Amino acid sequence: MAWVFYTVAFLVALALSGSAVYALFWASKHGQLRDFERGAASIFDDQEPVGRMTDHFPARRRKP
Amino acid sequence: MASTPSLAASINPATLPDDVPRAELSAIDASTKWPVMLFLLSSLAWLLLGTVFALISSVKMHTPEFLGNYEWLTFGRARSAHLNAVIYGWSTNAAFAVAFWLMARLSRACLRHAGVLIAAACLWNLGVTIGIVGILAGDSTSIEWLEMPPYATPLLFVAYALVGAWAIITFRFRKAEHVYVSQWYLLAALFWFPWLYSIAQIMLIFEPARGTVQALVNWWFAHNVLGLWFTPIGLAAVYYFIPKVLGKPIHSYYLSALGFWSLAIFYNWAGVHHLIGGPVPAWVISAGIAASLMMVIPVVVTAVNHHLTMVGSFGALRYSPTLRFVVFGAVNYTLVSLTGSAMAIRSVNEITHFTHFTVGHAHQGMYAFFTMVMFGAIYYILPRLLLKEWPSAALIRTHFWCVAIGVTLYWVDLEIGGWIQGLQMNNPDLPFIEVVRNTIPYLFVRSAAGLLMTVGHLAFTVNVLWMLGARRPAGATAPTLFRPPPALQAAPVR
Repeated sequence: MAWVFYTVAFLVALALSGSAVYALFWASKHGQLRDFERGAASIFDDQEPVGRMTDHFPARRRKP
Repeated sequence: MASTPSLAASINPATLPDDVPRAELSAIDASTKWPVMLFLLSSLAWLLLGTVFALISSVKMHTPEFLGNYEWLTFGRARSAHLNAVIYGWSTNAAFAVAFWLMARLSRACLRHAGVLIAAACLWNLGVTIGIVGILAGDSTSIEWLEMPPYATPLLFVAYALVGAWAIITFRFRKAEHVYVSQWYLLAALFWFPWLYSIAQIMLIFEPARGTVQALVNWWFAHNVLGLWFTPIGLAAVYYFIPKVLGKPIHSYYLSALGFWSLAIFYNWAGVHHLIGGPVPAWVISAGIAASLMMVIPVVVTAVNHHLTMVGSFGALRYSPTLRFVVFGAVNYTLVSLTGSAMAIRSVNEITHFTHFTVGHAHQGMYAFFTMVMFGAIYYILPRLLLKEWPSAALIRTHFWCVAIGVTLYWVDLEIGGWIQGLQMNNPDLPFIEVVRNTIPYLFVRSAAGLLMTVGHLAFTVNVLWMLGARRPAGATAPTLFRPPPALQAAPVR
């Protein structure tokens, strides 16, 4: 009975490794590994542009 | 705003990803609110419970008669309850919350099917609760990192299956052409974890393997939970928050791709370094040691990348809570990983194995790296979900300094004590009980460090509850709420 699990597990392990190889191939094919400058800046947009900090301590509660 | 998509439409291969509108950040954040809040509040509850068990276990090590009348709190049960509460309770719930929020933002589309995630949260936390109660009742499986009894774990599987399905659907309907490095790490982690957990459960508990193969599976699993589940999620957060807070892109995106793929190749092999010197084939151990040393590549690459991004902006640490926690975590990631690679070397392992050094190392990894990064992420995420500011800067500072000093004291103390313990254990002239007595001062210091960390956790909890209860300022809609201090408004970040 155990060998059933282990056979399935082995096949899934192969599939998982295969998917990793496929992921690298997919990334290369879809231009994910080109133009790194654009990739690095992809998390910025008009609302949160490059050059502006987006986190600060809350303002002091008592104003002078 | 598009109408809520149905689950059937999402699973249907014919549905085109173009049907999804690219959303504003404020809308995306709002769509993640209920699932992320549920996971975050659960994680906080587990953090507090895990801290209680931690203190109990720590005190019992140097003062064994502490709470000695209660059988359900014996050291074996309390320590296992602590481990499971902080790993599957605090860390995993926080990991889910941060992962979902990040995935929604990186996909540039509103979070779909929040109900699936809410169901997953309920099932996951129910499973962990039953598991920990089971451990305290004496039903522990006695396998490290898998102590939860078999009647609790199927709930975790179902919860995770829901999470996995959601992740695939979300990635499929993304609106961002570019897959940012954090997204790679998150998807990889979400793929790796169910594999690790299923194999470990099958080969250790449900259809156990023979003999020492169990030890191999156990440590392959436990170490990979660190390296292929928590590390990628922690790194995904660091790669997003450092540039986001600074308003500066990552220094070398090429290095981040290199770091990700080398981690994926090498990490899986390293787990057997927990069994160096054990009754396991020598070639397996050698492969594990080699992989542990090869891990220096992704670790150094990542460290260089983070450092070069921060260079010129270290002053920002004064102004941003998130940055403090995340940079502290990132620095400790580098240190703990390099320590880990060193510990895999046979001659070093001869000294550190079976000592408190390993415990110090584990806490530097899971707390000084992962937990601190999660704190940083929560400081960024919660205000954007609730559209309120953190009520108290003083509590944030208290939290930071207590846990930063506390955890550093913790791991430095145990690594020094553990090193000495190891050297003494290798000395045949010293009776074992002598060696044990010599560790006691270090254990007292560890309890003190733990108390300091507890104070930090309480400060954090008070701040969170206060923020939950506070009234939202009228007209608040934007994702970024804070007025930058005048000093920063004048000087642009380079």
